[in-house]
Amino acid sequence: MEFVLNNLFFLLVYPGGLFCVAMGILLSGADRILVARMQRRVGPPLLQNWYDVLKCCGKETIIPRHARRGVYLFAPVAGFAALVTIPLFLPVVNGRPAFSGNSDLVVVLYLLTLVSVCGMVGASASGSPFAGVGLSREMVAMISYELPFVLVILAVSLKTVILSEAGVPLTFSLTEIWNYQAANGPLICHWSLIPAALAMLFVIPCEVGMHPFDVAEAETEICEGMLSEYSGKPLAVYKLTHMVKLYVMTALFYVLFLGGMSTGIAAADGAILAVVCLLLTFLTMSLPHAVCARFRVEQVFKFYWTWVSGLALVSLVLVFFGL
Amino acid sequence: MFEKMIDRSMAKSPWIFHINAGSCNGCDIELVSVLTPRYDAERLGFRLTGTPRQADIVVVSGPVTLQSRDRLIRTLEQVPQPRVVVSLGSCPRSGNVFKGSYAIDGPLEKWTHVDVSVAGCTPKPEAIVAALAQATEILEQKRKEMRK
Repeated sequence: MEFVLNNLFFLLVYPGGLFCVAMGILLSGADRILVARMQRRVGPPLLQNWYDVLKCCGKETIIPRHARRGVYLFAPVAGFAALVTIPLFLPVVNGRPAFSGNSDLVVVLYLLTLVSVCGMVGASASGSPFAGVGLSREMVAMISYELPFVLVILAVSLKTVILSEAGVPLTFSLTEIWNYQAANGPLICHWSLIPAALAMLFVIPCEVGMHPFDVAEAETEICEGMLSEYSGKPLAVYKLTHMVKLYVMTALFYVLFLGGMSTGIAAADGAILAVVCLLLTFLTMSLPHAVCARFRVEQVFKFYWTWVSGLALVSLVLVFFGL
Repeated sequence: MFEKMIDRSMAKSPWIFHINAGSCNGCDIELVSVLTPRYDAERLGFRLTGTPRQADIVVVSGPVTLQSRDRLIRTLEQVPQPRVVVSLGSCPRSGNVFKGSYAIDGPLEKWTHVDVSVAGCTPKPEAIVAALAQATEILEQKRKEMRK
């Protein structure tokens, strides 16, 4: 009984569920304000995204005639559920995640993919040609960022293994990565991993689908792309997914490259996490949003498969030779 | 309690969808200028959406031309309830200089209920912001009526 209650608490309140929704809303609200300030505007209130979600809940939910009803309504919920599971694997406070295993990094990678796939499934079930175009673009974006993302993860896990203990070929355990950083300092301070950290900084906005890389949800070109038929409550779930993803990706960067910093007090650790997430949001999302115009699809693909993958590959090679 | 929160957030996050029903582009530019740093409508939660499915406020500009009439009606029907229709400029109100032309089938009132109407050729951005603010109040009222 206690086991069940504990896991329910993990899933629904902290570190999944309510906590990551709150973090997502605050971070994305801060992002909107930061972008506005950089464009010399006042910007919306901090809780604007929360109002957006609430408002969407109050609207009529239209199911188009050509849509597959079940898939259309179920896909956003499934994606959101997959996303909320990810924070359970991240050892953000004290290095102790709610669930842990030998290869939780692979699980995180798959769950992140599942979120995007659920978005695509929902879009294809809506039966709109605009959603179809958005779907194909999302697929291209996914192929673009998955390669550098996987290379970064490989570099990080290889580094952790080479310097911790021999015998295991690779570790994908986030706890082990965290412990390694607690002993040897954050990975971003190891110069061979700085290119990988840079590559990861570029992966974050594309994974979240933020402005310069939001090819799949281009409002002006393809009517919001994948979301073009969604309205009401399913749309609210999609918007929430988008915000929580922002928190999850920044927290993942924190665990991979800035982990190991533990003060022993949970509240202080939480504050560090919040500050790091905010800084990363500013660096990877608000700044490019305010500076760049939206990329074209093939530009995104080319950029990620040459520059970003190149950076990640440099790191991987350096780590491989034991630097 | 939750329902009341939804009611209140209705006025705080109105998303605009803009339909050009044969407008000369003057009003369209003025509508976009409302979202620029100078007038910053995002401060009040306004956002321009790309699809009618996500819109709360539909802004129509232009005298309703024969070509755009059917598309206008179809697009308006795709907007989920509660919705508010705002007519922008003199054209959708009266036809403006195009009144009596064989090519137009207006005014907008003939095809849908117009909640807020801004006059002017073209209206000033201040007038548009005022109209949009008025539209959000109507939106909240409509939501309350819908709930009853």
